[in-house]
Amino acid sequence: MAELNITRVDKIYHSRKGDVHAVKALDLAVKPGEIVALLGSSGCGKTSTLRMIAGFEEVSNGSITLGGKAIHTLPPAARGVAMAFEAYSLYPPLTIGENMSFALKSSRLPQAEQEKRVKDMAEMLEIADILNKYPSSVSGGQQQRASLGRALVRDAGLYLLDEPMGQLEPQLRAVLRGRIKHYLREHNCTTILVTHDQTEANALADRIAVMEGGILQQYATPAELKARPANLFTGTFIGEPPMNVFAADVSSAADRVSFTVEGGTTLSYPASDMSDALRQRLAQTPRISLGIRPHALHLGDGPVRGKVMACQWLGDQTHVAVDVAGRTVVSASQERVSRATGSDVSLNVAARDLHLFDHASGNAIAHGGTLA
Amino acid sequence: MDHSSSLEKILRSVAITLVLVFFLFPIAWIFLMSLQTNETILSIPPSLAFTPIIDNYTALITGQLRTAAGSLQLNFMQNMFNSVLLSVCSVALSLVLGVPAAYAFARFKFRLGEDIAFTLLSFRFAPALLVLLPLSLYFKTLGLTNTYIGLIWVYQLICLPLILWIVRGYFEDISPDIEHAYRIAGNSWWRTFTRISIPLAKPGIAAAGLLAFIFAWNNFVFALILASADKQPVTVGALAFVTASGIQYGQIAAAIIISITPTLALALYAQRYLVEGLSMGAVKG
Amino acid sequence: MSQLAIKSLTKSYGAFKVFDGLNLQADAGEIVVIFGGSGTGKTILLRLIAGVEEPTGGAIEIGGHDVSDIAPEHRGVGMAFQNFALFPHMNASENIATPLRAAGADESKVKAGVAKVAKLLKIDHVLNHAPRELSNGQKQRTALARALAAEPQILLLDDPLRNVDAKLRFEMRLELPRLLRQSGATVLYVTQDYKEAMALADRIAVLANGTFVQTASPEDIYMRPATLGVARLFGDPAINTADTMIETEGGAHVVLGGTRVPVAESYRGFAGREVILGVRPEAVELGSAGVEAEVIAVTPLNERTVLLLQNPNGWEFLASLPSSAASIPEAGTKVRASFAAAGTHIFDRQTGERLHG
Repeated sequence: MAELNITRVDKIYHSRKGDVHAVKALDLAVKPGEIVALLGSSGCGKTSTLRMIAGFEEVSNGSITLGGKAIHTLPPAARGVAMAFEAYSLYPPLTIGENMSFALKSSRLPQAEQEKRVKDMAEMLEIADILNKYPSSVSGGQQQRASLGRALVRDAGLYLLDEPMGQLEPQLRAVLRGRIKHYLREHNCTTILVTHDQTEANALADRIAVMEGGILQQYATPAELKARPANLFTGTFIGEPPMNVFAADVSSAADRVSFTVEGGTTLSYPASDMSDALRQRLAQTPRISLGIRPHALHLGDGPVRGKVMACQWLGDQTHVAVDVAGRTVVSASQERVSRATGSDVSLNVAARDLHLFDHASGNAIAHGGTLA
Repeated sequence: MDHSSSLEKILRSVAITLVLVFFLFPIAWIFLMSLQTNETILSIPPSLAFTPIIDNYTALITGQLRTAAGSLQLNFMQNMFNSVLLSVCSVALSLVLGVPAAYAFARFKFRLGEDIAFTLLSFRFAPALLVLLPLSLYFKTLGLTNTYIGLIWVYQLICLPLILWIVRGYFEDISPDIEHAYRIAGNSWWRTFTRISIPLAKPGIAAAGLLAFIFAWNNFVFALILASADKQPVTVGALAFVTASGIQYGQIAAAIIISITPTLALALYAQRYLVEGLSMGAVKG
Repeated sequence: MSQLAIKSLTKSYGAFKVFDGLNLQADAGEIVVIFGGSGTGKTILLRLIAGVEEPTGGAIEIGGHDVSDIAPEHRGVGMAFQNFALFPHMNASENIATPLRAAGADESKVKAGVAKVAKLLKIDHVLNHAPRELSNGQKQRTALARALAAEPQILLLDDPLRNVDAKLRFEMRLELPRLLRQSGATVLYVTQDYKEAMALADRIAVLANGTFVQTASPEDIYMRPATLGVARLFGDPAINTADTMIETEGGAHVVLGGTRVPVAESYRGFAGREVILGVRPEAVELGSAGVEAEVIAVTPLNERTVLLLQNPNGWEFLASLPSSAASIPEAGTKVRASFAAAGTHIFDRQTGERLHG
């Protein structure tokens, strides 16, 4: 329920082989009751950040405040933070139920209230039937749910969830995501979720902080990350299947703007599809990186021509891989589509679905016809 | 946490020095003894100021020991030769027998397999004297007393369990999938064993062989009871310096230095190999 | 004649029965995906076919011949392992060359063979690298190259994409069909990712409780699952279920959360049967009629949005709508849900089998 502010935080690990700058000048503000995901691949700095917030690592520079109070100098137990660990870290000699109520022992809640909380939490996480079992005798998925439950039953200013759903049974995942999101909202929990799985981040988070190489790449809502990625990294990292990216030469005429991609395909749009500012910018930018999301690349009449390499229907969507002048381009559709392997297809994309990036720096130039 | 103060560094160095002195002092002292006469060794208080002599070493190499009570024949170089012969042959035999056995214990689950493996190891737990009494009776009956073959056979009690258990751990760490992959690729079982399993377990085999060699070299009691002077290794040979006229400390020290040199050199040379080899087998993944 | 035939195959470890009479036929050049959860014995099945483990009973025939007495090295199969199983003391090129060398090919043929398959898998530039110097993706390609090098009749792929990252897995999923077709081999492909199974398979064989519960095309498996178990394994989010009963008064229907939900008249024959109604989340349609529900949580999932809904009677279910849909209700909104026939199935509550209406 408290507000978290991370200000200019660095984490530098010293080792004989030299210093490793794991987190670089991180600024992150989390509003009270907000669910924020730290998303990135391994080594991006998300786990170091989490460990600094929890107090398992010292900050090398900068400050962390929770509810206006500096916490980065406090021992972990004094920070008022609840955490669910990726490796579960349940106490082996205690039953699942005891593990969950253990965290409540030090609170001054009446016994009956404690019991009710554990029971409700266990029902929400579908572990009510194993409360009397020991961690070693239940499955990994059940241990993970118990670990999550142990963190969530507590009253804390901040909840830290480290890869909380990676081991969950696929059949339960979607329902539990919904229930957990509902629970965090109801209880107005300020939450930081660390994950490498964008599906999980998208499903749960209000805002996502995308990290790579110790640097915060973009901090925005899931919808904005998808529609307006700040750079090529975020653009290709977020979205499934990943964005198609082409190097493209720009040519602007009075009434049309054209992009010629590797292999010679030209995508041409009326100048009116682009804002004036963008047209001016493109006039000075002969070469860009052009990003097109598979779901925006539609089968049908269009300038992109190629042969079908694979057409794969997955139940609720179809992925079509097309060989365009030696490159694999992916088109995705929510419909069931069938195209024979080797057949000729053509693809089109609307100007509003184009993502333009600077060819050298990878920073976004424009999304959907307006400057980024 | 990451940072350590300079005080911590100093304390750490002091602690390491103390440990080093504790362990290296006896060796250094023996080395100094080997360069002195019996008189300077026995002088009280001991003094570090003495004229080093190499007489102890020459006595060992030439086989002539002159003492106050007269001259004595030594066959220390024969002992040295015996040590080399016994250790090398018994380790070689152990490898030939032990490596395939270790593979069998690692890969195939058979009836009593665990019990057999444990029984072999238990010879290492039993006091040597317990084994010796029956052994010496066997040796008499079989006519093996005071033969190299008999000793090499007995040395298997030392080497075989070591090799079996260390190498077994290594074979267990090789994913069976790797062997399966090689077989499915079209190779026979034997070829897979020699081309995949053995090369991959090589660090473990080398470490186990080295350790077995050191243990065999250092053995004392088997040869003392089961062999006489001409077949005894250096460890027993050193007893010859306990003469009627007194204990020849100088020669004993020199003998010790000469006899530990091969194992020490070997261990130092293969140190990294040895530590890596032994710990890799123990830690999975 | 089928290229590979598995007949009444059984396998037990002591009292523990892994397979209880497996039957499967695969034609030359066909890709059959063996799909099942962990611990269903998928890998054991591949090992039995490869010959590195022995079945307890039944027969395996390759090209019409029983291979029970044929050693693994003579069965003419290629296999790629989940953990890659590269030979760590050989570089990538030597790894790929092993099956060619074992077959006694001369050095020029070995070289040509390695070069060909390496080019196909785009690893020509790392052929001199030792396995530990390869990235996971390159290891996986090297392992595939080794399995393909000797052009085996039967190719066994044991969850080959399990240990590579999501992006590579996706790329390989698009690339594999062409690669496998080119090899001409009969492929048995093991996976526990249903999307991979649907994307790659000519037919999927769903393994559960020691038998193939259903062996059919991806379309049949998804649209016409044989059992509730199969239905739950395919689809993300998984199919919604509700215990109910078929009633016939005033038209065949079931009652869900206090509301009548009509079903096809052809289910009339099952009147009074206790059933489980299964509704795929993407078959849930929100509108002005149907089962009452409140939106509990909204969780975006790729191009779709998943809603957790709860009926006043307590029934909880998921709806998956295209994110581009005109209006996605917010949490707390009251809605009514109806179910499209194509994604709605009725299963017998006792046996779990789908009832054919």
